[in-house]
Formats: sequence, C-alpha cells, structure tokens
Amino acid sequence: MPRPQQRMITFTIDGREAQAPENSMLVDAAKHGDVEIPVFCYEPKLGGPVGACRMCLVEIEGIPKLQPGCATPVKDGMVVNTQTERVKEAQRGVVEFLLVNHPLDCPVCDKGGECPLQDISFGWGGGISRFVEPKRHFVKPVELSSKIAIDRERCILCYRCVRFSQDVSEDDQLVLLERGAHSYVATFDGHPYEAPFSGNIVELCPVGALTALPYRFKARPWDIEDAGTVCTLCPSQCNVTLTVRDEKVLRALARENPEVDDGWLCNRGRFVRDEIHGPQRITQPLIRDGGVLRPTTWERALEEAAKALTRAGEHTAALVGGQATNEEGFLLARALREGLGSPHIDSRPAGALPLELHRRLAEPALQAQVSDLEHAHAVLVLDCEPVRDMPIIDLRIRKGVRHKGVALAVATNSEGPLDRRAELSVRFAPGMGAVFAQALAAALSDGGEVDQLAQQAGADPQAVRSLATLLAGAGQDEGGAETQAPGEVTIVWGERLAAGEHGAAGAQALLAISERLGIGAISGAGLLEVPAEANGRGLREAGALPNAGPGLQPPAESGLDAQSIATALAAGELTALHLLQCDPLSDGYDRALWEPALERATTVIAHATALTEGIAEHANVIFPAESHAEKEGTIVHPDGRIQRLRPVIGRQGETRAGWLVLADLALALGLDLGVETGPMATEQLAEAVPFYAGLTLEEIGAKGVRWQDRDSASGLNAERVAG
Amino acid sequence: MNGFASGWDQATDQNKLPAEIPSPEQVEVPAALRAEIEGHMELYPDPTSAALPALAAAQRVHGWCSPLAIEQVACVMQVTPASLAAVATFYDMLETEPVGRHSVYVCTNISCSLRGADELFEAMKEAAQGDGEINVRAFECLGACDIAPMASVDGVYVGPLEIEDLPQLLDDVRSGRPVLPEKQLARMLVADPSANSQQYPSHAVQTVDSQGQGT
Amino acid sequence: MSAATAERKMLLLNDIDEPGLATREVYERRGGYQALRKALSMEPEQVLSELQASGLRGRGGAGFAMGTKVSFLPKGAAQKYLVCNADESEPGTFKDRELMQKSPHMLVEGIVIATWAAGISRAFIYIRGEYVLQADILDAAVAEAREAGYIGENILGSGHTLSLVVHRGAGAYICGEETGLLDSLEGKRGNPRLKPPFPAVNGLYQGPTLINNVETLSTVPTIVNMGGENYASIGTETSKGTKVISISGHVQRPGNYEIELGVSSREIIYDLAGGPADGRQVKCWFPGGSSSPVLTGDDLDIPYDFDSLAKAGTMLGSGAIIVVDDATPILDVAMKVAKFYRHESCGKCTPCREGTNWTVKMLERIASGEATPMDLDIMASVCTNIIGNCLCVLGDAMAMPIGSMIAKFRGEFEQTIEQARLAAEGVLV
Repeated sequence: MPRPQQRMITFTIDGREAQAPENSMLVDAAKHGDVEIPVFCYEPKLGGPVGACRMCLVEIEGIPKLQPGCATPVKDGMVVNTQTERVKEAQRGVVEFLLVNHPLDCPVCDKGGECPLQDISFGWGGGISRFVEPKRHFVKPVELSSKIAIDRERCILCYRCVRFSQDVSEDDQLVLLERGAHSYVATFDGHPYEAPFSGNIVELCPVGALTALPYRFKARPWDIEDAGTVCTLCPSQCNVTLTVRDEKVLRALARENPEVDDGWLCNRGRFVRDEIHGPQRITQPLIRDGGVLRPTTWERALEEAAKALTRAGEHTAALVGGQATNEEGFLLARALREGLGSPHIDSRPAGALPLELHRRLAEPALQAQVSDLEHAHAVLVLDCEPVRDMPIIDLRIRKGVRHKGVALAVATNSEGPLDRRAELSVRFAPGMGAVFAQALAAALSDGGEVDQLAQQAGADPQAVRSLATLLAGAGQDEGGAETQAPGEVTIVWGERLAAGEHGAAGAQALLAISERLGIGAISGAGLLEVPAEANGRGLREAGALPNAGPGLQPPAESGLDAQSIATALAAGELTALHLLQCDPLSDGYDRALWEPALERATTVIAHATALTEGIAEHANVIFPAESHAEKEGTIVHPDGRIQRLRPVIGRQGETRAGWLVLADLALALGLDLGVETGPMATEQLAEAVPFYAGLTLEEIGAKGVRWQDRDSASGLNAERVAG
Repeated sequence: MNGFASGWDQATDQNKLPAEIPSPEQVEVPAALRAEIEGHMELYPDPTSAALPALAAAQRVHGWCSPLAIEQVACVMQVTPASLAAVATFYDMLETEPVGRHSVYVCTNISCSLRGADELFEAMKEAAQGDGEINVRAFECLGACDIAPMASVDGVYVGPLEIEDLPQLLDDVRSGRPVLPEKQLARMLVADPSANSQQYPSHAVQTVDSQGQGT
Repeated sequence: MSAATAERKMLLLNDIDEPGLATREVYERRGGYQALRKALSMEPEQVLSELQASGLRGRGGAGFAMGTKVSFLPKGAAQKYLVCNADESEPGTFKDRELMQKSPHMLVEGIVIATWAAGISRAFIYIRGEYVLQADILDAAVAEAREAGYIGENILGSGHTLSLVVHRGAGAYICGEETGLLDSLEGKRGNPRLKPPFPAVNGLYQGPTLINNVETLSTVPTIVNMGGENYASIGTETSKGTKVISISGHVQRPGNYEIELGVSSREIIYDLAGGPADGRQVKCWFPGGSSSPVLTGDDLDIPYDFDSLAKAGTMLGSGAIIVVDDATPILDVAMKVAKFYRHESCGKCTPCREGTNWTVKMLERIASGEATPMDLDIMASVCTNIIGNCLCVLGDAMAMPIGSMIAKFRGEFEQTIEQARLAAEGVLV
C-alpha cells in the first residue's frame, strides 16, 4: 500500500513560525517549534489518539473551544497558542483533577524521578490543591501478574495499558472495570495478566501505577546508567536500553526502532536479568576432570582445548548458535578451516540448502523489511509461528491488519494466535511446509498438480487454491480493471521450510511463488525469513555454513551440514565438536541424531553462558561466554539490517570476549587470526563479505543499516558475475 | 467477579491461568443460552455487537453476570471474558454481584425525588428487607417522570407509587401476579388533553413475566 | 389565547391513545405508510430536499438540522448505517417512550424513509434497556413491517433494501451521547469517541452513520406528507414545527404535551401542566432536561424555542421541563444533579471523571456543615475547569446546571452552609 507522503507546512506556535509535516498532530508538530505540549494518554504507538486525559488542550485561532493537541492535525497557516492564560488555566485544572486522588507518595514510588506525572505537575500544574476531602485508599501494590505490580491509588486512568492489551497485543486480558471515578484497571476474575508482551504496560504507564516486580526498589533514576544495545535472544533482535546499576543489568527497556521493533519488547527480552546474572551463569572456564566439571584457569582451558582439537584435526566439526555474533562465527569458521583444515561447520539446525538457493533467496530485490508487514496489501505467514519464533513481528502483523487493512493469510502446521486475525488460515501436516509451498506455487500457476501436492502436504486443495486467489488478488478491487498495479505481498517464512529433506524443493517453491506474485519486481513486496536462530542470517553471511564461506561464496572445500555432522560423529568419522553458544540437545536440533553423536564424540569444546543439558553432560572444556549485555560485535536482522552490539556491563567473572577466546585458541592451534580488538574482527568480516564492503561500526550506528541499501549490495553476485 | 468495592484491593491469583478466549471444550454452555446468543450474533455485521443482549441473556439464566455466566458468553462469542467483564461492569442493568432474581428499580432521580422518591426507596428497601429474591435498587431516571415517583418492577413500570402501595407491590412480585395493574404505565393515557380527539379507554395491560419478556 | 385552550397542531400525538395504534392495521387505517409510498415514488434527493426544507432540528438535545446531517453522509456505495437514538436517558425526558410505545410504526416508517433518502441499507434502533415494554412493542412493529414488505429486500418494488434491528441497551446514560452509543452498539463500554471524525464520516463499524433521535425520525412521515415548506411554516423562524415536551417535577399535570415551538414557557408550565401546587411558586426550572442551566421564576416569559433559550444562557435540549417549587432547598437539587452525573460519567476523560466526583464531595461537605462560602468559589471554579474541556458534553451537563445554581442561588447556598455548620456544631438542632 502506498506509504504516507509527508508534506511540510508552516504554522505559527506561540508567536513563532515553524515547519512541521502536514496533518501531524499538534503535540508532535509543536516540537518542531521547540514547544512542548504535555500529554498523558497520547501515545502514537497505541494507535490513533483518544483524547482522554485532556492535558494537551491548546488554543487555535478561529476555534472557540480549546482543542486537544494530541488529536488536532496541523494545517498550513494554523495559529496555535499554548501559553495563554486560558490554556494555562485548563492545564492547571487538569493537573489538579489528576492529583485529586493521586497519593503523591513520590518519595516511596519507583517511578519517582522518571515520572511524567511528576514532571507535568511541576511544569504545568498550579502547585497547590484545593481538594481537602480524604483521598481514596486501597491495598497497594498488588500483583497483576508474576512480573507486574499494580498500585491503583496512583493510576490516573490514562487508558494506555488497556489500549495496549486490546489494540496492540490484542490479548484482551487487561481492561477497565466499572465506570466513572470508580473505573479501575483489572483482569477477569483475578486471573493474572500473563501474555507474551505484557511487560510493555510497565513502560507505557506514565505514573507509578504499574511497576515491574523485579525492578521494584532496586534503584533510583540517579543511581543508574542506561545504555543501548540489541537483544539477541531471538531473531527479532529488538533494540533495547539496558538499565545498569553497579555493573548489574536491572531491567531492559524498549529502544524504539521503527524498522525493527516499533518500540515494543517481549517479556523474555524485558525480564532478562536472570539470564545475565542468574545463578546458572558460567563465569569461569571449566574442564572435565574425572568425569566432573571443575573450574580451571584460562591458560589450562585453552591449552587442553587446543590439544584436543589438534588431535582431532580435520575430524573436527563446529556448530554455531544464534547468540554468537557475525565476528565470532566468522573467526570460528576461519579457525576451523584454516587452523584445522576441517570444512565441517554449520549454523542451521535442520540441515543445509544448496548454496545457489541460499544466494537466490538472499537477492536484495526479494527482501522484505519489517515495516512492509504493515504496509503490504497481503501478508502470508508460512510455516512459522511468529509469536514463538520471532515474537515482535506478531505485533507488527496485527498492527497492519488492525490499522492498515492488511489481508493476513496463515499457512502453518498447527493452530496459532494469528488465525483469528487472518482472512484465511490453511493447515498442513507437520514437516510438510516445503510440499505445501510447492502446492501453492502450482496453484498460482494453475498447475495441475495442486491436488496431488496439497494432499501430500496434508492440506485441503481447495484451501490452497483460495490462498492463491487471495495472494494473487491482493490489493485489487473486486472486479478491478486490468490497469491496477499488482498487489504487494509479503511472505514471512520459517527457515525449516527450506531445510532438510524437502528443503531445496521448498526454496524452489518459494522462489516460484515470488516469481508468480512479482515479489522481486514490486517495491513493498518481499520475503522475510524467520531463521531458526537469533543471528541465523548473520552467521550464514559470515560463512558459518558447510557449503559457503563469507559472503555466501563457494568455499574452498564443502563440509558436512549439522545433521551429517551428527551422523558422522555417531559413526566415529568425526571425533571433536566445537560448540559456539550452541547446545544441540536444547536448541531446536534433532535430539535423536545428536544424543548418540555427543555420546560418541571424543572431544566437545563449548562456549556457553549456562550449563544446559548437552554441555553439562558432554563438554570437555567450557569457555564462559558473554551475554548480549557484555558482547561487542555485529549481528544481522532477518531483513538484512546489520546491527551493533555494545557492551553495557563489564564481562561477568572471568568471562572473556568471544573474539579474543577464538583468537587465542587459533593461536594455540598455530593460526594467527590477526585480531587484537573487537573492531578489528568487524573490519576483517567487512573485508571478507563482498556485500558488507566498507562497512564500519560508525555507519551501523544506533539503528543499524541494511546491507541491501548500501552500494556494496551488488557484492552478493560479484563473484558469480566474475565467474 | 467482584464489584467495585472488593475488586480494587485484590491481587490476581498466580495459580490461575491467564484468561484467554475460552475454547469450546473448556466451558459448558446451556444449549438454549448458546442458541439465544448465536441468534443475537447473527443480527449484526460484527457479532461483537451482541455483547449486551448476550450478557442480558446469561443474566436471565444465572441471575447475575457471574464469572461462569461471563465465561459462557465469552465461549460462545469467542472473545475474552475480560472484554465482557469490562462491558458488564459498565452498565447498570447488568449485575456483577449476586442479587435476588426480582429487580425493583426505584427511580430516585430529580423529578421523582421532587415527588418523594427518596422516602419511597427507603420504604421499599425496608419492606423487602430479608427477602433475598428481591433486589431493590435506587436507579437513575427511568424516563417515566409523568408517573413520579415510580419504580420498574422486573421491567414493568408502575407509578405514581405511594408507600401504602408497597406491600401489595411486593406481594404481587412474590406471587408472580401482574404488579399493581392499575398503576402500570402501559395503561396511562397521554397527558396532553388536546392530543386525543375523543375519550379513549386506558390501554390494556400486557402481562410481562419475571424475565422482562413480553408475552 | 393561552396554549391550553388554543387549537394546537397535533402532528405526533394526534389521537395517540387510539386503541390498536401500535398495530400496523390501525396505523395504516389512519393513513400510515402512505408517506413511505410517496417517498419511494420520489427520488431520494427529492426526499432529502423536503427534509432540508422542513428545517427540522434534531429532537434529541443538540438541535442540529436533520436534513443537513443527512447531507453530510458521503455519497457512494460504502456501507452506511442509520442508528435511531432511543436511549432517552436525560432526566425529565420521556417523550420518546410515549411515541415508541403508542405509535411505533410512525418511527419505523420514518426510519425507512430516512434510509431511502440517505441511501442506507442497515438500521438499528438503540433503545435503553429499561424500556422493556417499548422494546417489545418495537420488536413486534418491526416484525409486522417486515411482513408487510416495508422492511427487507426491494421495499414496495422501489429497489430500496433495509434491515432494521432493535438493540437493547443495559443502563448507561452516556449511551445517549451519539458516539458512546456507537461504541455500545458495537458491544463495548459506552465510552464517547473523539470527534472529529464525526459519525457521518466514520461511525458505526467505522462506516458513515446517520444518528437521529426517535422524535426526529417520527416526524419524518409528517414532513413527507405535508411537504417540507408547509412543515416549516409552523413554529418560529429558527425553530420549526411542533415539539413534544415532557414536563415533570412540581407541576400538577406532569406528562407529554405537543407544542408549537415559540410559545411562552409560562403557558407550558402553568396553562398546560397546571403549575406548582396551590400556594407554591416556581423556584427554578430546567428547560431542557437536567443538563440545562436552570432558570428561575423570573424567566417564565421566555419563549420556548431553541434560540430564545440559548439567549437566556440555557438550552432547549431534549425538551424536558423540570419544575422545582419554592419549598425545595437548592442544595438538594444540586446534589441530585451532581450525583447523577458522577454516577453516569464514563470515566474516560479527566475533567468529567474527577470533576463530577469532586463536586459531589463538596456538596456533601456543605450538607454536613464542613464547608465555608469559599467552597462555593472552588465549586464554581471546578465547574469552569470542566466546561468545554471534556471529551464529550457529559461533564458540561453537570457543570452548567451546577454553575447556574451557584450563580443564581448563591445567597441560599451561603445560608445553608452557615446553618449546616451551626447544626454540626450543635448550635442549631
């Protein structure tokens, strides 16, 4: 769908001219004139304005009544006053009303010091209250969920939290009960508010009514430092601000990036303290000694690991997990290929895909951006479950459907929460995503094999045809003319569709579907892969694949993929396994294959943050790994956005930087990787990947940069053209 | 479900599951109630519009919008119970605390109160005291100020009421008879003497059962 | 010649108590549904221009010109809706109740004509849940009309199609506010919406929606029958036609009366409704429901029409006169009004939610002898901070009458404050 075009207009605010985008709301437009209009309920992330708090009343010449600045679009020539006595009186009045029942218990309130109500009362209030009646009192705080406390005395009924529940996450669990001055925020019949994104309401609350239980009374705003980085717990790669006090991460806040997270954060990424500081965290090297893991020195750990790897030599294989950075994946691949002469490295749990297909699927023209999900005519969710696999895009898809009229179709192997929002949901048998995609491709080209393929996939052939009709007709008016521009279709697809037994067929089908729908030729249409691992895309591009080196170029020698590595280990053909933040017994790998493989492996070297099952039982040497709060380096978002991790806290215990451990290990294997700092690793990576050419950390900046948008994007095909 | 007085102070129960949209297997819904709700849902382009009639129907079955009643409606309408609780607690006629099955709304708004409604309400409360089946409530303007002071008894408007009428009124409710037939609004002629060109008899009273459904 | 004795035009209440009028049979025998036939024989635009020519102003409270409202609806094929506002909840108002109960087909006919004029195929009557009898009667009338082919597909061969559903509310004054009504009809809490967008552009289910009061729509068949210009000859220059007014409180003959707009208020209160009981005087009166600023016994000669009442600082509103006699303490009146609006405030916007609550608390403090005259200034200031600053008009609906009472009866309030204080101190018993 066409994206809104912004035209700048000139208006007058408090006697000065200012330029602002036409039809932006006055509270936003005012900022262009360096004027702040106070708000409580206004939060564009929640949808259109509601005009409930009345804090933003302003005077507009020609309109007799004061108007809410949050809901009044600015027009050319508009004359706005925010400093007249009338406006000030209304603002003082609203603050006074809001404080009528507010306890003003700021000295014991967690929000104190970062509280919009405090700031606005101070800035715009009258400074006194004429309310002499007793204020209401309630038990406080009480648990709203296992993670969130609610203090109903402090609530100013701005509606933000309930709007989030109803209009953004659409879980509809948090509501207002009763009416008028008796209204209060609650759930149904004492049920806890447990939903994947519920933590966002804490951040939305403009007063101290909703607080995070893990953060309560942990710090004051003047005790803390905030630092921005990126969450690496899933492929969403949400931008976060981590709040730090005394080298401890106390909380995570959303750091809005419209092209990544839209300013939201899931509960896993938000309530992250335990992942970083929990008792399970490994903070020193461990070595297996007499069957028991014991702490050891770095020197001994590196020495033992190098010894074992040298012994195994080309019989070594490596797996890279999604928490690893591009640089770590890149350096490990070098160490393996150049130091040990082994080509067996993978970062895809479910198996390889021919390199040619990797490259075709990575074609810049086919790539969707996250924002396409809200502007496309149709979105197809194919063989993935966003809320589980890449949670934050679940919200983006809902936003598109709710606010932009996106037609949503879901094709998955089981019921999911997006089905309710879908115009069409189609089911297929587990593991048959690739065959289903073939059936869809056939239906889009009127192929005769639709019935047979659909049946093979365990899907209803008629539903497959309906899906084809929906996608092909996206954006077209009923009975539309031939001249209509083709519709923009965005397909969100899960990595497993193009992996394993049917993987190549699945990828081919996906390309065929794209071809039929003109995805490569239509701006705003695209494919968005949901990788199985958080940094799945970056690790591939860095060369952590058996059939590709850095930049998806053919390697000197092809190796075994993850599944074949397991088989080879179990058969004794491979003897050592190097696990870089990866545990094949818990990370979506095929457990049945990996149990015997780990059992038989002579040597297992692991970089890990915690002793998960496979590591605890099988690793011989364990290097403590950094959490995302400690790491530096880069990762790649599923849409190609290269993002930068910045260390927010010092490394925990004896933990060392991942790049440094790999460099030291390589050196012990007799290979000098030539990396002495983190940025040097990034530099090497950028030199090795043609389509990252010239990339610097400065360029990546706070919001990342999509490599497809850079001049070097053609580097994807450079080698092929040359060849 | 708790009303205003207790809901404020309550923590959620961490042992409960989140209240998502109930699946059909989770909640058993009486067939007649399901049919009635589905019938309402069909009347609207968006079936969510049926929330009020559906909750009213569930209230007739359960006597009030109990948590179970709300879960049943949520199950049929395929919405979360919270979204219905938000609605139920907003409207005066939907009871979110257990109450007697017979409702007696005494209008105590301005026009009725000018004609003695506050005293009438106190007297009504006293007269019905101890009868758990009768739910006496002071109600906002019921739109019958021409028969002030008045009350709506199981949906039937009666007035002008005098305190002496109350024993009979309550007796009629308890015994299932039409309530004070002579004082039912349904019989009343329009006040404007110029409206009717001739003398018409007062209207026949429709009998209305305790569910508020015309027969 | 007084209103009581004059030959008054009866357009809506005419023989309204005729037995059986609620049935189609009697309604048709009296000429019912002839206006519909006439309208369907005209082009929708012609019907619309008749409505515009009539100058009919909305009878719900705001007094907006009905024809103009129809003309705001976008033309074209988009699904449009008509919603009849039958939530009559303004204290003192009961005219729609009488019309729906006794002449439901007049409303149905008006709705069918209006939807024809506006190109609407789906209509709803949102009736307050308390009106059980009237809703049952409407349900029966709609069923009869459907049977007779006045509702449904291709009405009387005109090509016009209409579905009409009677939707029962469940007790919330705010649902009489048109956007609160829309949210309620969509199955939500009846919270008013931000305007703009106005319902004519973005209303029910986000479609263009025409919202009219029962009396307004019930007048439509009459206008079609007599012609817009003819109708416009009744009443005053800016307040055309007749209006059913509800009069209640301290009068001897409370009830509904149909008057030509522009007659003097005194004639309505005294000649038609009999005035207060013998020996009592009018202390104050609400000319347009409890939301309208009060007038006093000195204001009885103000003509009863939209503009004259507006000029007097109040409003015609829903056309509901509530009379309060001189034996009633003004504090009691203020308390009733304030408590009502506090109870009915939806809670969405700050000034209304907190302001109505605070006002009640201040009035209670007066009653308990804990107030000083300074509290009257605070109360007046609180009212000022509400008026014009809310999301909808409910806050104003409390603040305006309370403000008018403080302004007009300040002396009595001060006396009450002093007496209550002395009583609380045990000086006066």
